[in-house]
Formats: sequence, C-alpha cells, structure tokens
Amino acid sequence: MLAGIDYFIVIAYIVGMLLLGLYFKKFVNTSEDYFLGGKSLPFWAIGMSIVVSDIGALDFVGVSGQAYRYGVSVGNFDWVGSVPAMLLAAFIFIPYFWRGGMYTIPEYLGRRYNKSVRTIASATWILFFALDLGVLFWASAVLLNVLMGWPIWISILSTAGVVGLYTYFGGITAVIMTDVVQMIIMFVGGFALVFLGLHAVGGWENMVEKISTMGPEYQSHFDIIQPSDTTSPFPWTGILFGLTFVMANAYMIGNQSIVQRCLTAKNEWHAKASMIFGSALKMFIPILVLFPGLMAVVVHPDLADGDQALPMMIKSILPPGLVGLMFAAFFAGLMSSVDSLLNSTATLFTKDIYEPFIKKGASDKHYLKVGQITTLILLIFGVATSPISSDFPGIYVAIQTFMSYFQGPLFAILLLGIFWKRTTQWGGLSALIIGIAFAVFLNVFKEHFFHIEDPFLYISWWSFLVGFVINIVVSLCTKKHSEKELQGLVFNAKIVTENTSI
Amino acid sequence: MLNFDWAAGISQETAKMIFFGLYLIIGALVLLLPTEYIYQGIPKEKRSWYHNLKIWSWAVLGILATVYYLF
Repeated sequence: MLAGIDYFIVIAYIVGMLLLGLYFKKFVNTSEDYFLGGKSLPFWAIGMSIVVSDIGALDFVGVSGQAYRYGVSVGNFDWVGSVPAMLLAAFIFIPYFWRGGMYTIPEYLGRRYNKSVRTIASATWILFFALDLGVLFWASAVLLNVLMGWPIWISILSTAGVVGLYTYFGGITAVIMTDVVQMIIMFVGGFALVFLGLHAVGGWENMVEKISTMGPEYQSHFDIIQPSDTTSPFPWTGILFGLTFVMANAYMIGNQSIVQRCLTAKNEWHAKASMIFGSALKMFIPILVLFPGLMAVVVHPDLADGDQALPMMIKSILPPGLVGLMFAAFFAGLMSSVDSLLNSTATLFTKDIYEPFIKKGASDKHYLKVGQITTLILLIFGVATSPISSDFPGIYVAIQTFMSYFQGPLFAILLLGIFWKRTTQWGGLSALIIGIAFAVFLNVFKEHFFHIEDPFLYISWWSFLVGFVINIVVSLCTKKHSEKELQGLVFNAKIVTENTSI
Repeated sequence: MLNFDWAAGISQETAKMIFFGLYLIIGALVLLLPTEYIYQGIPKEKRSWYHNLKIWSWAVLGILATVYYLF
C-alpha cells in the first residue's frame, strides 16, 4: 500500500523519535527530573504535549467514524468539552497542585482525605493505564503490519523498544519533547488530508449542500446542538451536564497523565499558560479528525462501518509521500499515548504505592531507579498482554467506558475537596466507592433507564451527582478536619489575592 | 428523569443560547481574577501585555463562541 517514499518517511520518523527521546537522558539525575522534568519546561511544549496525548490514533479513526455517522456534534468533545474545563484547571486546580509540589492527583486526595482514597484512586488509574498499554501496543502492531508488512510480534517489539527506550532513560522530559514533534507531524498530516479532501468534494459549501440533500438522516449533520430527545449519543443535555460539567473537568483536572505535564512547568505562570495554550490547540483537533469523516460521506457514501471513513479517505485522496506522513501522524498518536501511560503509571506506582507502603524514606536515587524499573516492567506487561486485544476486539471500548464511570465520582470528591472545608475523609471515601458502584449499576441496567444509544454522558452526570450528595451527607455526619490538617488543601481567596505559597 | 425529559421542550436555539451564556459567565469570572494572580511567576519588570492570561482566555472563548455560532 505504501510507496518507497512513504516507507522512508515512516522509518525516518521512528528513528528520529528514538534519537530525540534519548537526547534527553542527560537531563535526568533525580526523581524530580524523571517524573516532573526538573520543573523546567515551557508552556508551549506542555500545551502541545497535552493535546497530542489526548488524541491518539484510535481516536483519529473513531472520531472520524462518529462524524461520518452523527455529523459535527461529535466536535463538542474537543470544543465545549475542553475549553471551560481547561480554564478551570488553569486558574484554580493547577496552581494548587503546582504550588503544593505534588507529583500525582491521588497524592492531593491522600492529603485532603486519607490514604485509602489515595490508594483506591491510584490503583484504579494504574490498572486502567496498564491494561490500555497492551491495547495500544496491539493497535500499533496492526498498523505496522498492514503498512510495512512486518510480522505482528516484530511490530509490537519495535514499538515497545523505541517508546520504551526513550521513556525509560529520558522520563517525562523525553515524553513531552517527543510529543511536540509528534503534534507538529499530526497537524501537518491532518491538515494536508483536510485540504486535499475539501478540494476533492468541491469545497466546504458544496459538501454541506450535498450532505444535506442525502436524506432525512443527514438533516442535522451540521447541527452542533442536538435535541435532548435525539437517539444519538450526543443530546445537548448530555453534552452540557455529562460532558461539560463532569467528564471534561474530571479528565482535565483528575487525569494523571494530563495534570502531571502541567506540574513540569518552570513556574506558575507557565503551568497556567500551558493549559490555556493547550485549549487553543484543542480547538483545531475537530478539523483534523472530524472533517475527514464528513468528507467521506460525500466521497464514500455507502460505507457499512463509519470507522472505515478515515482509512478510505487516506487511500483515495492522499498522494505518495503524504500517505507516509499521515501514517507517521497515526503512529505519532499511538506513541504519544503509550509514552504518557508508561511515565504516568510509573509515577503513580512509585509515589502512591511504593513510597508510602513498600519503602519509606529511601534516597532520591532509589526512587528514580524504582520509576525506571516500573517503566520497564510496564513495558513487558504491555507487550505480554497485547494479544488480549486480538481475542477480545471490544476491550478498548470496554476500558474507556469503564474509565468514564470512575470519572464522575472522582470529580465529585476533587471538587468538594478543594472548595468545601467540611468535607471529611469518610465523605470522600464513601462518595468514591458508592459513586463508582452506582455508575456500574446504571451501566448494567442501561436499557431500563435510558433511551439514547450509548448513555455514557448521562451515567457520568448521575454518578457524579450521587458521589457529590453522598460526600456531603456522610461528611456532615462525621468528624470534621482541623484547620491545621486542611492548610493549603482547600480553596482560599488568599491564593488569588496574595503572593503566598502553599 | 434520568433522560432529562424536562428538557424536551427546550428548542435547539435556546439550548445554544445556554451554551453562549456559559461562555459569558466563564469569561466574566476570568475577568474577576486579580491581575497579580494572572502574572504570578513572571517578575514584575518583565511583565508585558502578552503575559496577560485573561487576554488568552478571552481569545479562546471568543473562538469557541464563533464555532458554536457557525454551527
């Protein structure tokens, strides 16, 4: 399928990433260097890294497929699903975490609530991140197998080798700086496809006209706001309550791999600016992933599976050279997701499990070594579990769906934890456990409760609300924390009016 | 109740206005932040208008509102 120049571009990209990542090895001397980049990184690199980590190759295909089926309303996830949450994170949460010198989100939860909340949150993230790794390795192997003709196991080992090497040696600095290049490649490849695709469909207005006259099911393809009684997964009520108020905030404020990047900023201004810059870049993502899906409605109107939209557009629109660049962009998406998972999981394990439970008070070099060894073990685990994806093709969706059920209750305890002094450790713990259990219950019996196709937005909202209420009720019934215990952990107007450090 | 049946009578145009209202509220809250807090981390003598994160936020919210106006 690829021409000679395409092979060259893909291989040059892989080798280039390896060399660039290994270059940052020399900056890693302490555990802070490894997990927080020595708190030295600029906002633009962090912002670009947040964006590229958020959008993986699987999302490229999946979002294009959803745009093919449901139209522009899927763009809500990168527009209203990012900007408000990233501004809230930039101005309220990130400064708290940054000033507090924290490494992980569960570390904040541990200080604000108790060790159990920290451990549950951390163990859940570790479990999902580790399972995700295998899925991503398999996806990249399938990609390399189809493109380059490499056997699956060679493909898995080469992906693991390249990403593993630079993540093991270079830590989060290597992860972020390779992400910068990966984002540029994704944007160049993506915009080339959109530009040529628009030319192929006769321009934007022509495309809108053609799609609008294709039948009643395409009448609302260009409506970003869908009615609340739509059967698609994106009614405006779900977008507002489930996505904007809960899932987006939980993702931007409670996701370790996102927040950890901001904590690498060289100062507080860079930490805040990284989120806002990232939100600006995020608004271009729907153009890259959604527009090809819309164009495919015109170019390939009879696709049985919407997920075929993007591959078919690449195949039919792009010339040799750009095909290689587009596949390098796909690979960039996969690599950035894998390196983020590796580094964030190693940080969570070292800081939230190993340090408090296995070996307290060891030297900094020891924790640096533990972080590196954890990265290596995760790499082996990811490679060993990758064939699961072949046996259970729905596992990626299953993991993502279950993750979304964890996010509502997590955001409820983060929000109350930072804004309400009266919240207690037992309130937080009950909210997390009961909230997750309620989300699972709603999912199991979703046919009885919901009438839209995939009610994950509604489930996030209701599980958030249950977690929120449980936290308040249990907190009011249990002993409150002292002022001393809460120092620097609860929002105080002083943080925005005085030049104080936590 | 779980399906937000109470919102069935709200038109798509009204729903869009709710989103615009949300952006305005967020923009107003950003404006209320003290200037010192916005520049925290940049030495006073090096501060410039482009370090003002309120401008950044309003630019991003402006683009977002434009997207929702267009679609």
